[in-house]
Amino acid sequence: MIELLNNQLSFRFPEVHQKAACSIDFQRTLRIPDDNREYPLPPGLGRFPVEHVDDFANKLPDTWRTHGGVFIPMYQSEALWINFSGDYPCAVKIAAGKINAVSGETWSNGLSADPQDYAVIPEQPWLDGFNVSEDFIRQFVAMPLGEGFTAEEQITGKAEHGGLQIIVYPMKHDIYVEHFERTVQADMDYLDMPAFLRRSVCESAPLDMGLAPGGLMRQEIYEDEYGIDAWDQDNGFRCFIHLANSEQYQMITGHQPPHQPATAKDYTEADLPWFDYYDDSKALAGSDTLGKLTSVAAKVIEKGKGLLPDNEPVQPKIIKVISKGNLVRDGEF
Amino acid sequence: MTFGEYIRKHREALKPQDRRFSVRQVAQRIGVEPAYLSKIERGDVAPPSEAKIRALAEELGEDPDVLLAMAGKVSLDLQEIIRKRPQLFADLIRQLKSAPDHALLRIARDVRDGDW
Repeated sequence: MIELLNNQLSFRFPEVHQKAACSIDFQRTLRIPDDNREYPLPPGLGRFPVEHVDDFANKLPDTWRTHGGVFIPMYQSEALWINFSGDYPCAVKIAAGKINAVSGETWSNGLSADPQDYAVIPEQPWLDGFNVSEDFIRQFVAMPLGEGFTAEEQITGKAEHGGLQIIVYPMKHDIYVEHFERTVQADMDYLDMPAFLRRSVCESAPLDMGLAPGGLMRQEIYEDEYGIDAWDQDNGFRCFIHLANSEQYQMITGHQPPHQPATAKDYTEADLPWFDYYDDSKALAGSDTLGKLTSVAAKVIEKGKGLLPDNEPVQPKIIKVISKGNLVRDGEF
Repeated sequence: MTFGEYIRKHREALKPQDRRFSVRQVAQRIGVEPAYLSKIERGDVAPPSEAKIRALAEELGEDPDVLLAMAGKVSLDLQEIIRKRPQLFADLIRQLKSAPDHALLRIARDVRDGDW
């Protein structure tokens, strides 16, 4: 089952194991400059508000009601990262506009090992974008559907789905017991374990947003060290996360959306920290399909629309190194 | 385990990896005097306000509802929910007091998956 608690999706699999659970939330962040330079990890500026589609069904498009799930408000060109938490190993597959963010393949239920099309929690602490090459992602940036920016439109030529799609499978009961519960006898063994569209209420602007590839960021997506057979694919839960245009979110829900995040330039000039994460686990290769995507800034130029605003290069001055023991990536502004 | 003991145990567990979890630094971040946090941990004073308990839960990565329950408090949002329909919720909670976790989990609201 999936519950929505404190703007966080809480996945629980009590049929598999009492401890089988993980949580996913969506962090507001800076849009890193989209200039083909490599940037470190931007901060988390708090969770996006998350609402049940069913609570506002009469104000939302029919397709959203059909999909079910939840929605979050995003401003155009705003970025997000996906934050994973939980101790019980889970395989999580993420797609944007039904394009897999790890493999670039179109959506299917179930997991694929070759190429690996999912990340493993808790080894993967977060995902900030599309897996464009080994050790690099392109940041998830919200753009309106129908203008050709999103990964979905660039790959399929259609603006059909938008949003984010997530499916989570827990580790099989027996495999969890074998790896984590069999004995507490050998502490050393423990250390040796594998680290394993239609118009909205307002007829003037489209409601649906999709995710487009933004700036380039150093981030690894780790190889599954447990192997695909470790995952209980009979017991997955999935969720459609719709991205609502932030300005219209208030008309739908009556709640004020969060204010726009600071620009990368203002944030950096205020001497606030960026982050770097170190883990020696093996990283997946990038997806050729995703590697060929055109970033938002390049697309703006391609369309003859000048330059993407607020896109000046920045020089992060303070970079905090974080590791498995300390996954705090908070920024304040 | 008392509220104070629980806080101390969890804070101390985080401290070896990160010095930000010293009494002084945690107290500073949640906006209380270090001596007051020490007294809370020792059980010399009653648990703090709901806001401070929530701040502690956030700092220590603990569930705020669990910490509030340990401190003998019910969060304001739950109080408000119960106050609106007191009889109904009192009956419901009494009826569910012995239900196993998996049965309770089924009552909690799911995020609905649709057709996509």
